[in-house]
Amino acid sequence: MMLRASSAANDLELDLGVVRGDPQNSDAIQCAPQLTALVDASVNDLESLPEARAALVEATDEATMLDAAAVVANFEMMTRIADGTGTRHPEDRLESMSDMFGPMGLTEFVSARM
Amino acid sequence: MTQTPTALIESSHQHSGLAVRSDLTAAHAHVWEKLAAPGTWWSGSERVAVAEVVRLALDDSDPIPPWESASKSGRLPGDSVISSELQDAVYRLAVHAGTLTEEWYQKMRDSTGVTPQQWVEIIEITVSVVSVFRFAQIAGIGRPDFPEVLEGQPTRQAQPSKPAKHHWVPVVHLEDVTPELAPFYDGLPAVAPVVRALSSVPSAMDTLATLGGAQYIPMREMIDLNWTRGTLSRRQIELVAGRLSAHRECFY
Repeated sequence: MMLRASSAANDLELDLGVVRGDPQNSDAIQCAPQLTALVDASVNDLESLPEARAALVEATDEATMLDAAAVVANFEMMTRIADGTGTRHPEDRLESMSDMFGPMGLTEFVSARM
Repeated sequence: MTQTPTALIESSHQHSGLAVRSDLTAAHAHVWEKLAAPGTWWSGSERVAVAEVVRLALDDSDPIPPWESASKSGRLPGDSVISSELQDAVYRLAVHAGTLTEEWYQKMRDSTGVTPQQWVEIIEITVSVVSVFRFAQIAGIGRPDFPEVLEGQPTRQAQPSKPAKHHWVPVVHLEDVTPELAPFYDGLPAVAPVVRALSSVPSAMDTLATLGGAQYIPMREMIDLNWTRGTLSRRQIELVAGRLSAHRECFY
């Protein structure tokens, strides 16, 4: 949701499929492949984490890699808060997001509290 | 000599040889200072017992399915100061949060006897450990030990929390704000449901605001859709956030 908003605020076209699918470099999101590789490795393949970390540093710099690691840590926090407390979106917000549900497969989640 | 909680975090970051932002180090030190100290509803030893389950769950290379008991599988300490039912709940929150349902929440409360406010504090402990350990792991930093337990009684400071439309747990509504919650509510036109979720325990709100401000975006900057620290753009931040949330199958 915030990704769409931050892209729209800058008149940038963004395919939200990038969130779950194959990342592509675009004007909207620089270094998307390296960023998503870091996230994917941190969840699914810890052995490839050093490689993903190094690739992001090479494409950006150490400070950017550290900030990306911090954002991952933050959403490890936020997802547990949302799902541990049963937080759901207000109806008006759900309505404004409804066009994202199908393409992103969000309604398949057990945590889809509508 | 035992290291202070802050020293544990600072030495972990300094020994990495990486230039970790000082505000991020300070945020992790802040939650480490609270981790083993008496909280609002749990003692220091109980809080560390919860943290220990989170650590074991995060280290579990082959987690058990969400419907099985981690304590009965022999993965968790049998001599814990918290019950095996609560250990199971913490394990599931740590590794399978996306599978939690309201029915599970009600059954968990029946079996453990925890109050909603005690559960909110358990979430706070869990996210403190998850934040510090996952940042260290992803950045390639040695993770800190848990601090030494501090003796003392929980404050048991209640808040005027009420049933909520958008949560399983009760929350403090804007019109009922207390001095303890004012720093997190004042001046904001609205408080997102996921932030309000922890409001029945102000110390948990403090943990969320402290970590969120350093790891993601300070709460008052959230509306600036081009906010950046000079490293990641806002869109890059949100891509990482969305990708991780999708992996965790978090609808919210």
